[in-house]
Amino acid sequence: MNKKEARALRRQQKKEEKWQRKYTKVAEGSRFMQWRHKRPFWGATLTVLAALLILYIPLHLYAIAMIPGSFVFVGFLFGGLILIIGVLAYIYPQFSTVFGVITIFLSVLSIMGALGGFIVGTILGIVSGSLLVAWEKQAMPAGESKRNGKKQKQLVEQETASTAQT
Amino acid sequence: MKHENHIIVGRTWKRKFIVALLSGFLALGGLISVFGFTGTAFAMPLGGMGDFYVEFDELNGEGFKLIPEIGETGESDSEPMVRNLIDEVKIENLHIYKDLKLPGTDKWVRFHVRADGETTITGLIQDARFIDADLSFDDLQIEEKNTDDFSENWTQRADTITIEDAKLVTDYLFQEFVSLEGAKISTEMIDEPEIVDDGN
Repeated sequence: MNKKEARALRRQQKKEEKWQRKYTKVAEGSRFMQWRHKRPFWGATLTVLAALLILYIPLHLYAIAMIPGSFVFVGFLFGGLILIIGVLAYIYPQFSTVFGVITIFLSVLSIMGALGGFIVGTILGIVSGSLLVAWEKQAMPAGESKRNGKKQKQLVEQETASTAQT
Repeated sequence: MKHENHIIVGRTWKRKFIVALLSGFLALGGLISVFGFTGTAFAMPLGGMGDFYVEFDELNGEGFKLIPEIGETGESDSEPMVRNLIDEVKIENLHIYKDLKLPGTDKWVRFHVRADGETTITGLIQDARFIDADLSFDDLQIEEKNTDDFSENWTQRADTITIEDAKLVTDYLFQEFVSLEGAKISTEMIDEPEIVDDGN
């Protein structure tokens, strides 16, 4: 095994170790932490925040926003939809990618009719949508996380010893 | 329960995040550049920051309505003013400016928005505290109603309105759709802000 491969292996092992630590932390963490990790918490929270910012202008102009066909009404619709998606992302985490794509799309379009919550809402919507798209959950049997942690440590020690010999 | 023996950890894939973020900003950039090139904006509100000044050479509007309004100004929460509602507007040489005090200093800065070409607005709502202009109307109708609602109490309507050499002290402006031809935005340092006395 050459140095390059050993370095790549060590990097890989470090990454896995990091994940093991995270699994252990979540397993030993509070109930809120476990609940948070089961759904795209930050993506959904920022989506709700972006929706409130986007809704600010149409709510401010509610008198004309109620007239169907007006652009402000469209802003109301976009802001409301983003808010619903944000809430749904907490409940149905398995659809986070779809929710993320829709959030980005609606946030960009909210420039029309709601001025995208003075642009800040749109930017926040794009970031939160991207977080939803990129989120994925990984499950591991509860007992295995600790066992794997020890196994990984042994493996790393063995590898370091062998590279030191060569 | 099925998941009780499992630990679930959410993770965010960096590559996916960056791709989604870039796509979003690309779409936003595309949309803004299309509107930017044509000088078009949808649902443009301007208000909640006190008095600002609107000047123009000529305004031609269709579907004009004027109603009394109590609104917020830079100095007061409720000030009597008039609300102009015009369905379709064409303006020549529009100039909007606002004086703001630089925080922590005695200096003032004036923000200018100028449109040398024709400005087209759909669905204009404007609250004015003071109007100095030459006005002419077609089919002007003034109506009074015996109602407790002050905004319905007295209204003025006209099929068309022409305003020339106008200066308006405005406190709120909303345009459903606006297109500014030859728009220029600039700033200027000034010694003191402009104060227009409405004679009251």
